[in-house]
Order: sequence, then structure tokens, then C-alpha cells
Amino acid sequence: MENGLDLEYIFNEFLKGLGLSSEIAHIIWLPFPMLLVLVSAVVGVLVTVWLERKISAAAQQRIGPEYAGALGVLQPIADGLKLLVKEDIIPAKADSILFTAGPILVLVPVILSWLIVPFGQDLLISNVGIGIFLWIALSSIQPIGLLMSGYASNNKYSLLGGLRAAAQSISYEIPLALSVLAIVLMTNSLSTIDIVNQQSGAGILSWNIWRQPIGFIIFWICALAECERLPFDLPEAEEELVAGYQTEYAGMKFALFYLGSYINLILSALLVSILYLGGWALPIPVEIIAKFLNIPLNAPLIQVFTASIGIIMTVLKAYILVFIAILLRWTTPRVRIDQLLDLGWKFLLPISLANLLLTAGLKLAFPQFFGG
Amino acid sequence: MSIAVTTQLICFSILSLVVIIGALGVVLLESIVYSAFLLCGVFLSVAGLYLLLNASFVAAAQVLVYVGAVNVLIIFAIMLVNKKEDLKPIENLNSRRIISTSICLTLLSLLIRVDLSTVWIIASPNSSIGEESTYRIGEHLFSDYLLPFEVASVLLLMAMIGAIVLARKDVMNQDISTGLPVDQELIEKTKEPFLINKN
Amino acid sequence: MKDFLQKVNSYIKEAFSAGKYLYNGFSVTFDHLRRRPVTVQYPYEKLIPSERYRGRIHYEFDKCIACEVCVRVCPINLPVVDWVMNKETKKKELRNYSIDFGVCIFCGNCVEFCPTNCLSMTEEYELASFDRHNLNFDNIALGRLPTNVTTDPSVKPLRELAYLPKGVMDPHEISPSDPRVGKLPEEVYDWMKPVSNETKDKAVKANN
Repeated sequence: MENGLDLEYIFNEFLKGLGLSSEIAHIIWLPFPMLLVLVSAVVGVLVTVWLERKISAAAQQRIGPEYAGALGVLQPIADGLKLLVKEDIIPAKADSILFTAGPILVLVPVILSWLIVPFGQDLLISNVGIGIFLWIALSSIQPIGLLMSGYASNNKYSLLGGLRAAAQSISYEIPLALSVLAIVLMTNSLSTIDIVNQQSGAGILSWNIWRQPIGFIIFWICALAECERLPFDLPEAEEELVAGYQTEYAGMKFALFYLGSYINLILSALLVSILYLGGWALPIPVEIIAKFLNIPLNAPLIQVFTASIGIIMTVLKAYILVFIAILLRWTTPRVRIDQLLDLGWKFLLPISLANLLLTAGLKLAFPQFFGG
Repeated sequence: MSIAVTTQLICFSILSLVVIIGALGVVLLESIVYSAFLLCGVFLSVAGLYLLLNASFVAAAQVLVYVGAVNVLIIFAIMLVNKKEDLKPIENLNSRRIISTSICLTLLSLLIRVDLSTVWIIASPNSSIGEESTYRIGEHLFSDYLLPFEVASVLLLMAMIGAIVLARKDVMNQDISTGLPVDQELIEKTKEPFLINKN
Repeated sequence: MKDFLQKVNSYIKEAFSAGKYLYNGFSVTFDHLRRRPVTVQYPYEKLIPSERYRGRIHYEFDKCIACEVCVRVCPINLPVVDWVMNKETKKKELRNYSIDFGVCIFCGNCVEFCPTNCLSMTEEYELASFDRHNLNFDNIALGRLPTNVTTDPSVKPLRELAYLPKGVMDPHEISPSDPRVGKLPEEVYDWMKPVSNETKDKAVKANN
């Protein structure tokens, strides 16, 4: 596809026009993508928190937040402000260094993973070659942060919660990586852009969900377990562990955990939509629509239009998955720790291995359908 | 000096400082938990060094394997076995210290010798393969490095079986270390279901 | 081999049954998503208490003869009647009367047995306070009348479920003129009234 707009180039040219050297222009440009990631992640969290509260209320025949803004849309901002101005407490017998470092170590990898999420052909922060592998690697840092905060809190519930979180993360990482590997096998590339492009062609029919139905289910279960959403929210099971590793946290440090878990949920939903639901692709390919309406595809206006449609499609698919996750929360009971590990090691791991083997076999047998 | 080179230099010096100080901390700190967490920092900085060398796949693998698996398991083990024990004074501590210091110094001098004798400069700076390295690593792993690769997996399998045997001593008739008969009560039995099955 | 295949079979069966249970759960959740909330948003909206609601007790000091019947019928002898005998007139002279609503169970026995009807039940139920001693009402506090939900301009009164028209579940939707389900007491009375002979004759004539 032709490059329609290059924002960085335009911005640099503009700064050069003001009499700055290209290097300084580059330095001034650098914070913008980072800021964009942070802002989009946080706005995504605000929307998800609002959706979570409203949908939970609807599922329980309540009204939910109503007074902060129309339909309570400002409620998440009010919550965030409350956490921001709350007193920052470090328990007297806690290890203050590890206690502070824990939430940071939980949040930073999740935000870093947003680098590889594409919202369109050229709409991502960095098209690194290792793409999806970066996400798998970064998400494996998280359990360290959880263990750190669980240990530093000097509280038995926190420690148990941290241990459970780490055990859960490392056991569900393996089926997750294996189901991603099956996709990578079909694409011949780790890059998220290539994975989406491989699914474009025949619209909804060419999406990976038809070729990898088992992988899709495994990935979604593991993603829920990684996000510690119900039915896998053992690390913060209220009835047994108070709030798990978050028990001793208050104020902004707690808000970091809260942000981290919701950003992780959105990230997982986005990645499911990219890996299995065609990313930014429409159910009917844009080319066919353009041919039907007799519009040349490389007109600038059309490019802007398709790009915005692409963003909307990606976000829409992700939020449908978030909706399902929220409904799952009010549908399924929490599993026990032994059931959780059984499911991970005795069910998902063999099945994802079989899925990988099957994909490899199908790739050899039908190279035109399963990637050459 | 261009900005890219300066940034690289700053990143390199920070990362190497973290690696050196972190590694010293791992060895010298009293608290074992701190050592374990510092080890994580060291691994992460090494991954950062790989990134500076344009080896993003190796960096990600370093994070995934060393931070995500090895270090988490180390911390896990430390937290599960958090028994306070009084350390006994070691005999001949000074002579032991001297021996270990001399061994370390020998190793260090060996490393320095290797460092000085190797030609590090690549023929042309453009010959770095960058993103293609993922394919190259794959090719090498399944051709000329296949045997070491497989041997490593056998090693891991042995370690795993060993861990299972050590953790489940009760499966065997006698204790491995003492040779005494083991209490058979501990052997896992098939559980009677609480509710009688319908069929 | 056969064993293994059997295991795989049961494995798949378990997975399918798990999927079925998940489907059942989701159908329940979606069914609940369809239903609308009937929330009464309390400080702004309040339910109108029913006619015989047993709320905080009202007391008229001037009617009371200090007979102490209320104390005797109370399950825990709660009302405190503070009187002295006036030797000259040989009559009881009431000085104070109090009921502690932190202890009262609102059974209404005292109201039932009061010979002079100086005790009565109100519809006031907002008895929360920061200090339990504030709930010990003396004769002045007991003599206050509560504000009525229907006349309070800051509150939107809502009817209780039993007072809604037939088939309506949400009290927000109805107008005040809509009749409640079933017959009102006066309608029941009309229905129970014996039909007089004249009207009976008229009916017979009309039939002929």
C-alpha cells in the first residue's frame, strides 16, 4: 500500500522550516508517540472501567454510575482523581523500595507492549521484526512485579496472592505462546502487520478464527488468566485473600495496579482481534467496496477514510471481546487453584501442542490455505 | 558526534553500570531476596545491551527465558522456603576466601585476554543483519547447531525428571538418601468420589 | 491404544460439556441483561409507606395518664414513664416519657393497648444517627410529626409494588391517577353491602 501520510516527516519539515536542525526536530518528535501510547491506553482504560460498571449493573438489574456526567461517563475520571489525591501509605514494616518498585514493574511492560499494536497499515508505534514475540517476552516480566509487591507488603495475604499470580502467569504463558506460534507458523512472520495482512483478502472468510478455532479459544482463555479476570481471578480472590497482592496498597500505587490490569485486558482484546479477527480489516474487503462504488483507492481522502475505518474496526472488535470478558465475569464462578493449574497444564498445554502440530501438518498439506 | 551515537553511548554506559553494580549486589548483598530481584535487573540490562547491538530477537528471548522463567522460579523458590536460619561460622574462612578470589581473578584475566586478542571490528557496519537474525537463528538451530540444541533439551528433561523424583519421594518404596522404607500411607491413592456416580 | 483413545474421548466430552455449561450460564446472563432495573434512587425518590406501616412511635404528652400499660405490654418493658404522685390531688403527675428506638422492635403492642390513644405509629423510618444515644427519644422528640413523603417537594414519591396497577413493575411509569390492582376498601364495602329489596325487584322486573 502506498504511504498516504507521514506525520513524522511533515512535523520534521515544519520544524526545519522554523530554522531547527533535523536532529533537534527528531528529538522534539520523539515524545509524541510515547505520549500517544500513554493517552490512548489511559483513555481505553477509562472507557473500559465505565463499560465494566455499566454492563455489570445491567447484568444485575442495577443502574450503575449515573450522576458524574451524562450516564456516569465521568465516573472513571472521578475514581482516578480520588485515587490520585488519596494518601500514599507505605506500611511501617513493609520493604519500602520493593513496595514502590512492584507496581511500576507491573505497569511498564504492559504499556510497552502497546508498541506493537497496529490500528492500520502504518498506524503503529514501531513495526519491530519480533512483533508479537516482544509482547510475550514483556508480559513475562509482570510476575516479578507481582511477587515483589506481594513480598514487600509483609502480609501473608499479599504474599499468597503474589505467589498465586506468578504461578498462574507462568503456567498460562506456555499455551498462550504455543497458540501464537501456530499463527506465526501460518504467517511466516512475527510482525503484527504481516499477521493482519495475511488475513486480508476474502474479508471475514479469511480471518484466522476459521483456520485456528482451537487456537482462538486457547488464546482467549489464557489471555483472561493472564489478566486475572474472572473465572481466573484467584490472585485477588476477595473471599480468601482480601485483595491478594494489592491488599496493602492505597492511592496512586493501587491506581497503578488498577490501570495495569485494565490496560492488560484491553491489550489482550486488541491482540485477539489482531491475531484472530483480522485486525483493522472490514468484514468485507475495502477493495471490493471501492470497486463497487467506483472510487480510486489511492485518493488521499479515501486513504484517511479507510485509516479511520481501520481504527474503528480494531477498537470495535477489541471492545466486543471486552464486553464478553465482562459478561464472563458475571457468568462463571471462580476456579480453585488446583483446577486452574489442571486446566493450564493438563488441558490447554496438550491441546495447544496438538493444535500446533495440526497447523504444521495442514500447512504442509494445503499450503495455499495455511500460508506457504 | 550525532545525536544517535550520543544516545547509544548514554544507554550503553547506563546499562553496563547497572549490569556491573547489579551483579556485585547479587553477590555481596546480605538479603537473598534483594539478590534475586537484582539478578532480574541484571538480566534486563543484558537484554538492553542485546537491543543496542540490533539483536532484538535475542533480547526478547533473554527477557522471556531469564527474567520470565529462570528468575521467577528463583524468587518463587526463595519465597516458598523462607525459613530463618542462623548461619554457622565456616572453618578456614580466610583460606577459602583467598582460593575463591584467586580463581575469580584467573577467570577475569582469561576474559580480558580473550577480549584483547579478539578482533571485534566487523568489516563494514552495514553488514549487521538486524531483523533477519530471527531467520538465521532458526536456520542455525536446525542445521549445524542441531545436536547441542537437542542435547540441551535432554539436559532439561533430565533436570525435570530429577526434580519430580526428588519432590515425590513417597512414590518409591525406600527413601533415596537414607535407604529406609517409606511410609506407604503417603502414596497417592485414587480418591473415592463423595457422590456415587449415577451410571 | 484403546485406553488412550478412551481417554481422548472422555477429554473431548468433558470439553463439550464445559462449553454447554458456559452456554447455559451465558443464556442466564443475557436474560438478565434484558430486564430493566426498578431502582428507587433513595434520597431523591422514596416509596410511600403502606397504610399500616409501623414506623417511629408518636406520643402525645397531654393525653397520657401514666397508666404504664405500654410498659407492661412491651416485650422488653422499654418505655420509661417518669411520674410522681401528687398527694394533694391524689393523682399521678407525669414528668417525662421516653422510648429508646435503638432498642425498640416496632411491634406496636404499646400503640395497641394504650387506653387513651396517646401512642400511634408514624411512617418515619429514617432513624440513622452517629450516636446510639440520639435514638433515645424523650416526650418532645416523640411528639414531633414526621414529614410526609408525598408532600415533601424535594422527594419524588413512588408507590410500592402492591399499590401499582395490574401488570406494572416499575413505579416510575405510572401517573398518580392510575388505580391500584384489586379493589379499594370502599369498593370492597360496596360489593359486600346487601342488595336492598327494591333494587332486587327492579332487577326481576327488568328481566321479565
